Amino acid sequence: MADKEATVYIVDVGMSMGERHHDRAVTDLEWAMQYVWDRITGTVATGRKTAMMGVIGLRTDTTSNELEDDVHFSHISVLSNIKQFLMPDIRKLEEELKPSRTNKGDAISAIILAIQMIITHCKKLKYRRKIVLITNGQGRMSDENLDEIVKRIKEDSIELVVMGTDFDDPEYGYREEDKDPRKAENETLLRTLVEDCDGVYGTFEQAVAELDVPRVKTIKSMASFKGYLQLGNPEEYDSAVRIPVERYYRTYVARPPTASSFVLRSEPGAGKEAESSDTAAAIKESQSADADALTSVRTMRMYQVEDKSAPGGKIDVERDDLAKGYEYGRTAVHISETDENITILETFAGLELMGFIQSDHYDRYMHMSNTSIIIAQRANDKAALALSSFIHALFELECYAVARLVMKENKPPAIVLLAPSIEPDYECLFEVQLPFAEDVRTYRFPPLEKVITVSGKVVTQHRNLPSDDLLDVMDKYVNSMELVDTDEDGNPVETFPIEDSYSPVLHRIDSAVRARAINPNQPIPPPSERLTKFSHPSEDLVQNSKEHLEKLIELADVKKVPPKAKGRKRTREPEKPLSGLDVDALLHQEKRAKISPNNSIPEFKQTLAQAENIEAIKDATKQMMVIVEDQIRHSLGDANYDRVIEELGTMRDELISFEEPASYNQFLGQVKDKLLQEKLGGDRRELWWLIRRNKLGLVVERESDQSKVTDAEAKEFMSAN
Amino acid sequence: MADENQYRGDDQIEEEEIDESGYKTVKDAVLFAIEVSDSMLTPRPSSDSKKSVEESPTTAALKCAYHLMQQRIISNPRDMIGVLLYGTQASKFYDEDENSRGDLSYPHCYLFTDLDVPSAQEVKTLRALAQNDGESEDVLKASEERVSMANVLFCANQIFTSKAPNFLSRRLFIVTDNDDPHGDNKSFRSAATVRAKDLYDLGVTIELFPISRPDHDFNTSKFYDDIIYKASPSDPDAPVYLQTDPKPSPATRDGISLLTTLLSSINSRSVPRRAHFSNMPLELGPDLKISVSGYLLFKREETARNSFIWLGGENPQIVKGVTTQIADDTARTIEKWEIKKAYKFGGDQVTFTPEEMKELRNFGDPVIRIIGFKPLSALPFWANVKHPFFIYPSEEDFVGSTRVFSALHQTLLRDKKAALVWFIARKNAGPVLGAMFAGEEKVDETDVQKFPPGMWIIPLPFADDVRQNPETALHVAPEPLIDQMRFIVQQLQLPKASYEPLKYPNPALQWHYRILQALALDEDLPEKPEDKTVPRYRQIDKRTGDYVLSWAEELEKQYANISALGPKSILVKRSAKDRPSEAEDAAQKPTKKVKVETNEQGVEDIVRAHYQKGALSKLTVPVLKDFLTSHGRSAVGKKADLVEHVEEYMERK
Repeated sequence: MADKEATVYIVDVGMSMGERHHDRAVTDLEWAMQYVWDRITGTVATGRKTAMMGVIGLRTDTTSNELEDDVHFSHISVLSNIKQFLMPDIRKLEEELKPSRTNKGDAISAIILAIQMIITHCKKLKYRRKIVLITNGQGRMSDENLDEIVKRIKEDSIELVVMGTDFDDPEYGYREEDKDPRKAENETLLRTLVEDCDGVYGTFEQAVAELDVPRVKTIKSMASFKGYLQLGNPEEYDSAVRIPVERYYRTYVARPPTASSFVLRSEPGAGKEAESSDTAAAIKESQSADADALTSVRTMRMYQVEDKSAPGGKIDVERDDLAKGYEYGRTAVHISETDENITILETFAGLELMGFIQSDHYDRYMHMSNTSIIIAQRANDKAALALSSFIHALFELECYAVARLVMKENKPPAIVLLAPSIEPDYECLFEVQLPFAEDVRTYRFPPLEKVITVSGKVVTQHRNLPSDDLLDVMDKYVNSMELVDTDEDGNPVETFPIEDSYSPVLHRIDSAVRARAINPNQPIPPPSERLTKFSHPSEDLVQNSKEHLEKLIELADVKKVPPKAKGRKRTREPEKPLSGLDVDALLHQEKRAKISPNNSIPEFKQTLAQAENIEAIKDATKQMMVIVEDQIRHSLGDANYDRVIEELGTMRDELISFEEPASYNQFLGQVKDKLLQEKLGGDRRELWWLIRRNKLGLVVERESDQSKVTDAEAKEFMSAN
Repeated sequence: MADENQYRGDDQIEEEEIDESGYKTVKDAVLFAIEVSDSMLTPRPSSDSKKSVEESPTTAALKCAYHLMQQRIISNPRDMIGVLLYGTQASKFYDEDENSRGDLSYPHCYLFTDLDVPSAQEVKTLRALAQNDGESEDVLKASEERVSMANVLFCANQIFTSKAPNFLSRRLFIVTDNDDPHGDNKSFRSAATVRAKDLYDLGVTIELFPISRPDHDFNTSKFYDDIIYKASPSDPDAPVYLQTDPKPSPATRDGISLLTTLLSSINSRSVPRRAHFSNMPLELGPDLKISVSGYLLFKREETARNSFIWLGGENPQIVKGVTTQIADDTARTIEKWEIKKAYKFGGDQVTFTPEEMKELRNFGDPVIRIIGFKPLSALPFWANVKHPFFIYPSEEDFVGSTRVFSALHQTLLRDKKAALVWFIARKNAGPVLGAMFAGEEKVDETDVQKFPPGMWIIPLPFADDVRQNPETALHVAPEPLIDQMRFIVQQLQLPKASYEPLKYPNPALQWHYRILQALALDEDLPEKPEDKTVPRYRQIDKRTGDYVLSWAEELEKQYANISALGPKSILVKRSAKDRPSEAEDAAQKPTKKVKVETNEQGVEDIVRAHYQKGALSKLTVPVLKDFLTSHGRSAVGKKADLVEHVEEYMERK
């Protein structure tokens, strides 16, 4: 569990915060608020009840705080007490944080107030306490009683953060020219205060620049397995080794938050009446009418079994009348509740060594899963010692271990690979799952460095093989594109840039949700540059390799196939069997005059291939139409639908490649009319739905130059019910 | 269960093979056409005189079909399989047989197993036929009259047309030893070639499994080269290699080796090659693109989830669940377009339109873009999150792709380099960074390809996906202890010092389907599962026993050294009151006993003693739990459950 948190933000809204400085397009307040909103929404997004915040407005027009009678505390307003922030709080704050018409108000007094708020709220409980002051440092600040303040902050272990617009920060390397003397004085004052309480002092230049660095959520790892690394069987042999170990994830894919489904309320009035007596709710409602008009979506499951005698071929069954079982092929195998575990392999938890392999005999692509680490049972020095000897032995012999991992009793075993990892301050085994026999798909592919012809001859010079020149320039290109990364200190980094790469989808959604929470009417922001840093090679590399790339392009001589030329039939050679026999000639002899319904697809294709004029194509299409309509008319339920879909799909593809899309479009129009008018054996709406789902609609301009149908027209055609 | 499977749904959507052809169903149908003739039925004796098994080509083929049927029930439960015998004396085609009135449509064709997802009964009958049980005699009798190949092919055509319409992949496996069925009869020959062209145009691939006769090598040029087409019509990209490799099985007299060759040949083509993505641009640099297709050569096979069964009918029936979405307020049914997506934020919902939702995941069109190169050694062992993708060039979008890919492949292989790639696998799929490197072709002892040549893409974890190591105290083992352990490791190398996945079937998966099969076929349940993943304990003891003893001794010595210096572990362990502390435990331990258990010897003895006295319930829960976990048993539940578990364990011993 994360610790409880209490953070008070002090936001300077003085009149001068409404000014623009140093050619910035935004006012100081707007600039600073980018940072504040990022912090606040970041906390709200966690949804944690124990992450609480309070907000104090500094240099406000009015005064509203518990010490408001004291003149030192004028023009300071507590905008929100310490609590969990929710959407309405954000909206309220959004309204309130506007530049005021005064420059009066003392930042130091605001800090005292913030300390007071924290003390009242947190008492002596365990909290992470924090005060964040955001200011341009231009108001009057009194330096009375600073020691007392420092003492309190330290006593209560509050972290004090001061962020200023255009504050000098030698560490970051920022210095404001022609600084106002009072501001300089204030900066010194605040800096001393922060340093005295070991706080953080920063300038917005840096804070805003770092805003787009995504925040990686650290997750406290729990052991996914605690048990024994075993060699041999301790139940039977005295010579078995058992080392108590724990397993933790090393990698685990962080998923983006999932959206839930909502729909508009059907009767917006219904829900509201009950709440109208409650005025607080009414206010909330007016502000978030949009969200409140939504209601969540539930899924309902219905259960059906096939029953040939029932209308529609299916009957509904009740959930309570159902038993559990499995499918074996198309046979249902019922397993009674008492036999529930009958198909489960009996296993016992453990990590058992099966044997060892040479690390250079292992192919890295056999890694099947995310990875874990195995360490000795914590607080067990003997186990640590024992495991360490195992890790070092593997390392010295350049071996990996293959082991059988069962995480819990009766869980399926996995085969894992264990590799040693030795760092100066950490030793562990890395673990990854290996494939079983069933997980391997043996797809075969021809070799890449030679070509074997149909007759079995090996050819080394071929259009599919690179020439020596091409190989040579490829080598140069690869070298010129070598990634040399450096760490913060400028030392080269030898690994892939994992620490620097952030999950684009996760952080894009995260920031879009937060942006929309503050500004519901703004369009979603584009992804930040950090997220797309690795979407293209860097400018330097591109420049560096330009010369070789140009040469490579020249020698590669790659030609793009125009999209519409793909699969065009008229220009293509007819397909021939391996022997090269001219089957088309044989077909000619046979003279299939009519397309037979039971061999429609091949015969339609063949008729088109032999068609000498457009009439022949049109005639073939007409014949198909009769066949298809007949199949629909005589289909028992959906029995012939798949066949019809295949025929339509074939016709569509063929007529596009024979540049006769109009024939298909005309044909589909007729089918549609007849289907919807129930002229083909009753209600065939399901078939129409299938046609839509399989995207067998009108051929549009995009797909064929001969079609005049626009996308919009095609959509209109399909949407009509 | 729920926690582990929580993302399974997501993964499945992600892994779904992409249907490139638009309107076709991504399913595979395989129809075996097995010739029944005198020579096919002649048993070939086993060369091994000890095994008196005789195998005829026909029964070998039937066994292969049976094997494939069983295998596909596990791996491709939606795919269809059928068995058509031809050249038989008997004829059967749906409701037609010799006793039907009128002419037979397909004389001497016997549709033994209709093309469908197999039922338990069909599995059983096919097995009976393959094993020559009883009635098979009648079916496996060769006809006097020659069967027309045109008829066989058209019969197959009709089966595919009616039973597997709109399938993306339809394949006819012909098993025969007759390389010239029609000799010089021109009209029969040309009729067959026309029917073969029909199949080709229908999208059916013919795969030939030729068997040589003892006195005659199978010669495909006599007849079959006119029947078989180069590229599969459903996969115009398939390199030539795939379709033309049926080497006739050697002219062997040996029935068993015939079976194994045939089996491995069929196994290698058991799954139709489905691309995970096809014709994807691989961008080597600005303005240089080639096209590649991607495949999943490794994918975790899981047991199917259990389903609801309806017992109200004659036979148990699988229940189909239909989900409808309803509004929470009025319970009315909702159309898909009405649904808005919203994220929970600060107790409220932040909504986005469907277009915006799409846009949030849109980082551009699918692409594999090379960002730069690194030495392969820069890819850490742990940098992995899922199975790899395999890519191979295609000429479909860019002519010349293959030669460029080949040049890159050769360069990366030689220089041991990997490319960093920005990889978007599908439209609207989130981008990942990947390490792309070259894989060499690997062949087995008989020169059959095991792993193809091509490029592999390993998706890398993002910073968000990397977990921190938990704190723990470091104890580096001193040299003498490592030396002892080294001896142990050296004794237990796996064959060829490498991992061979095909040697290890998934025991849980196999057991699951083995039991289901027994239940479905009403057979006796098998007693003991075959589990190749269980280590060979006897061998381990024999080979390493002595080394383990000296290692254990050394460990005691070294441990005594460090405990003398005081405990180093900073973590305080919560231990049960009555459990001996670590140091005590180590001291107590009898040195003769060499189970190198580092802490629970005391617990072991205590529990055993209490069990014998029948006083287990006097022990505390932590002790019981410790005992159970140390034996790999689940330690959840109330005290009574724990006691029961311990008793179960003791009784089994």
